[in-house]
Amino acid sequence: MRNSGTNMWIAPLLLLICGVLVLYPLVYLVVESLNIGDAQTFPPEEYGLGNYGELFEEPKVILNTLFVACIATVMAVFFGFLQAWILTRTAIPGRARLERLMQLPYYMTPLIGALSWGVLLGPKTGLVNQVWRAIGFNSDLFNIYSPWGIAWVMALFEGTVAFVMISASMKSMDPSLEESSRVLGASKLRTALKITLPMVAPGVLSATIFVFAEMLGSFAAAFVLGIPGRFFVVTTAIWEATLSFPPDYGRAAAMGLSLSGAMVITLAVAKFIMRKGSYATISGKAFRPRPMEIGPIRWLLMAISWGYMIVAVILPLMALTLTSFERFATVIVHQMQFTFANYETALQMGSLAPAFGNSLILGIVVASLGVPTIGVLAWIIYRSRMPGRGAMEFLIMVPQAVPRLVFGLGLLWAWINIPIPIYGTLWLLGIAYFTVFMPLGLRTIAGVVLQVDKSLEECARVCGAAWTYQMRTITLPLLRPGLIAAWLLIFIASVRELGVSVFLMGPNSKVVAPAIVNSWLSSSSELSAAMALMQTVMVFIAVAILFRVARRVGGDVT
Amino acid sequence: MTRNSGPAMTGVWGLLMLVALTLLLALPARAEPACANPHQMDGFKTCADVAKAEQEGALVLYATDPESATEQMLAKFHAAFPKIATTYLRLQGGALYARILAERQGGVYTADVLQPSDMSFALDFQKRNGYARYVSPEMEAYKPEYRSQPEGEWTWGALVVAGIAYNPRLVTAAEAPKDWPDTLDPKWADAVSVKVTISGLQHTTWFMLRQVYGNDFWKKLAPSKPHAFDSYVQQYDRLVNGQDKVAITAQYSGYLLMKSKGAPVEFVYPPSGLTATPQPWGIVKEAPHPEAAKLFLDWFLGVPGQTANVTYQFTNSPRSDVPPPPGGVSASTFKLLVPTDWHALEQSHAAYVKEWNALTGMR
Repeated sequence: MRNSGTNMWIAPLLLLICGVLVLYPLVYLVVESLNIGDAQTFPPEEYGLGNYGELFEEPKVILNTLFVACIATVMAVFFGFLQAWILTRTAIPGRARLERLMQLPYYMTPLIGALSWGVLLGPKTGLVNQVWRAIGFNSDLFNIYSPWGIAWVMALFEGTVAFVMISASMKSMDPSLEESSRVLGASKLRTALKITLPMVAPGVLSATIFVFAEMLGSFAAAFVLGIPGRFFVVTTAIWEATLSFPPDYGRAAAMGLSLSGAMVITLAVAKFIMRKGSYATISGKAFRPRPMEIGPIRWLLMAISWGYMIVAVILPLMALTLTSFERFATVIVHQMQFTFANYETALQMGSLAPAFGNSLILGIVVASLGVPTIGVLAWIIYRSRMPGRGAMEFLIMVPQAVPRLVFGLGLLWAWINIPIPIYGTLWLLGIAYFTVFMPLGLRTIAGVVLQVDKSLEECARVCGAAWTYQMRTITLPLLRPGLIAAWLLIFIASVRELGVSVFLMGPNSKVVAPAIVNSWLSSSSELSAAMALMQTVMVFIAVAILFRVARRVGGDVT
Repeated sequence: MTRNSGPAMTGVWGLLMLVALTLLLALPARAEPACANPHQMDGFKTCADVAKAEQEGALVLYATDPESATEQMLAKFHAAFPKIATTYLRLQGGALYARILAERQGGVYTADVLQPSDMSFALDFQKRNGYARYVSPEMEAYKPEYRSQPEGEWTWGALVVAGIAYNPRLVTAAEAPKDWPDTLDPKWADAVSVKVTISGLQHTTWFMLRQVYGNDFWKKLAPSKPHAFDSYVQQYDRLVNGQDKVAITAQYSGYLLMKSKGAPVEFVYPPSGLTATPQPWGIVKEAPHPEAAKLFLDWFLGVPGQTANVTYQFTNSPRSDVPPPPGGVSASTFKLLVPTDWHALEQSHAAYVKEWNALTGMR
C-alpha cells in the first residue's frame, strides 16, 4: 500500500487525540463516582463503592428507565419501519416531500416535543383532552404525564434516527430479489414477509439497539413530562443530584456510568450484528431501487404517512406557536389572551442574538471540521488493517454511552484543569461538541463506508490508479451522500445541544438550548415557546441553505 | 437621702453598665465601611474607585434569577456607568455553584459578583474562603441579621417569599386554604403542587413549618400525593390550566408576575407567616474586575439597584426604604418565617431530602 508510511503515524496520532478527548474526562467521572467524601473536593479524600451500592438499594429509578426506554424503542422502531417501508418501497404520491418532512422532528429540540405534547394531552385540560370531553367522554383520552406519554414523545422526537437507519437499509436493497419473488407467483404480502423483511432484518435490529441506547440516555421528555407525573428516570435523577445542595456528584457519576454500562452492552450487540453480515450493497452491479406499485391501497398508505406527519410535526408545532403568542400559557380557550410580547422580550434580550450566532458558528465549524476528521477515522477503522483500529472505534463510541449531563460534568472538570486558556470560550464548546458527536458522525459515515464494496477500489488500483486518484474519483464520490448527511446531523445536533453546554458555556460564550431551558425554568413557558420556535426556524433556514448548496455541488442530502 | 442613696445609685449604675456591656458583647461586631468618606453617587454611596472601575470596563455577574429580568437590571447599572460593560451567567443554583467551585479549583476566575440563590451555598462558599470582604457603605440600611459574619462577605440582596396560591376559577375564596394546615386537607389530593428537593425555598419551607406545626406536618400531606416542580413557572402554569388547584410554597414574585399578565391566580398570606429565603450577594475573591464589582455591589444594595431589582424580578427588598414589587406589598407588612439558625437548616438537609423525595415520589 502506497500510503502505509503515512498510516504508520496517522493511526497512533488519531488514537492519542481520541484518547485524550474521550478518556481524560472519563477518568474524572470514574474517580468522582468513587468519591464517598465531600463531593466538592477533588481529588476525593475518601474512596469507596457506596455510590454504586446505593443504586441497587433503590432500583426504582433504574427500572423506570428500562421500562420507558423499552416502550419508546418499540414505538420508534415500529413508526420508523412503517414509514421507511411506505416511503422507500411503495409508490405513494408525494413520497419525496414526505421523506424530507420525516426528518423534521430531528431539527427541533426535544424540549419542543415535550412542551407541545403537554399542551395537547395534559390531563384534564390538554387541548385534545378538552375536545375529547366536549364530545361526551367523562375522562381524558390520554394522560401525557405518564411513562407511556414520555415514551410517546421520545419515540416521536428522538426516534427519527430509527427511520433514517431503516430507510437507508431499505433504499440500498437490491429490488431484483423482490421482483423474482413476484415473478415466481408470490403475493405482495408474502414477498414482504419472506423477502423484504429478512433482508432488512439486520438493519432493523441494529437500529433497534442504537435507538434503545439513545432512549436510555434521553432527558428532555422525562424532565418535562415525568416530574409532574412523579415518574423519575436515571437522567432526571442525575439532573436533581447535580443541582441539589450539597451536590451529589458521586451518585450522579455512578448513575451515569452504570447507565453507560448498559449502553455499552447494547452498542456491542449492535456492533456484533453489523459485523456479522456483509453490508456491501453498493457494488459494481448496477441497480435502481424501484418502489412497488400497490394500486388503490396507496391512498391508505399515504393517509397513514401524513397522519404520522400531523401527529409528529404539525400538531406539536401548532401547539407551540399558539403558546408563544399567549400572554400567559394556558390551554383553556376562554382564558387565552394573545400578544407579541414574548417575541419582543426574546428579541430584546441582549444575550439571545449572540447565543443564536454562537450556536450557528459552533454547528458549522464542528460539522465542517468534524466530518473530514471522522471520515478519515471511519476509513481507518473500517477499511484499513492497522493495529488498534478496534480500540479506536471503541474509544470514539464511548461518549454515546455516557449520558450527556454526566459527560458534561466530566468535560468541565477535565478542561478546567488543563493549563490552556480556553475555558469560557467557544473553543471549549467546540471541542466538547466534537467529542460528544464523534459517535454520531462515525455511525453515519460508517453506514456508507460499509455499503461501498471494496472491489470498486480494488478495481481502480488494479487498473493502475494511484491512491489519491482512487479516493478522488471512486471513494469520495460514493461517500458524498454519507458525508453530507453526517455534516447535517452534526450541525443540527450542535445547534440543539443542551447537556454539555449547561456545564461549559460561559458569560461570553452562550448558546441557545440552555437559554431556552433557563427560560422555561425561571421565566415563563410562553417565552420559552417563542425562543424554541425561533431556534427551530433558524435550523430550518440553515438546513434549507444547506440543501440548496448541496444540490449545487451535486450531492444528495436525503 | 443623698448620703443614703449613694451606694444604691452606685449599684444601679454598676448594674446598668454591666447590662450595657453584656448587650454590647452580645451584639455582632459591626465593621466599619470600607472607607471613611464614601463617594455620594446618584442615589447611593460607594467606596469603590469609580475611575478605576470604569478603566476595568466590565462586570461579570453569576446569578440564578430569570435572564430577561437580570438583563434589565444590569442595563440600569450600565446606563448609570456606560463605560462598564455587563455580562452574566444564569444557571440554576446547584449548577451555578458547581461551576464556580470547579473554576476556582482549576484556578480560573471569571465571576466578579455571585448570587447563588440560597443561604446553603453562601455559607459553604464563605467556609471555603471564596468571598472577597467588602463592607459596602450601603450596608447600614440592612439589619444585622441580613449581613454575613464577619460583615462584608455576603449581604441579603433580595427576599424570596412563599405562601399558598390557588386558581379562583376552580376554587372559591371560601373553599381556598386560609393557612398552611388547610393545605393538608385530602380534598386537594392529586391537585396540589410543591417544589422539588433542590429548591432552597422548599427546604426553608419544610424546615420552618416543622418548627411551627411539628415534625409530622409534612407526613400529613403524603396522602395527597403532591406534584413537585423545579420552578414556580410550572406550578403556576398548572394552576392556570386547572391541572392543580392549590400550590404550596408558591413564590410571591411568581404570583405577582402572573397577576400582572391577567392570569387567574390568587395568593393566600397565611396568618402564621410566609416562608422566606434570602438571596445572598457578595464579591468573589480574585474577581477579575474588583473595583467594578464594588461599585456594582454598592449600586445594587443602594436604592437604585434595589428598586431596579424589585421592579424586574418582582422579589421583595430587604431595605425598608425601597418600594414593594409592582402590584405587591412590602415584606414588612406580613409575618415572615425565616430561619435564624442557618447552620441548623444546613444540618437538616439530609433529613429533608429523604422525607421530600419520599413525599414527591422521587425515591
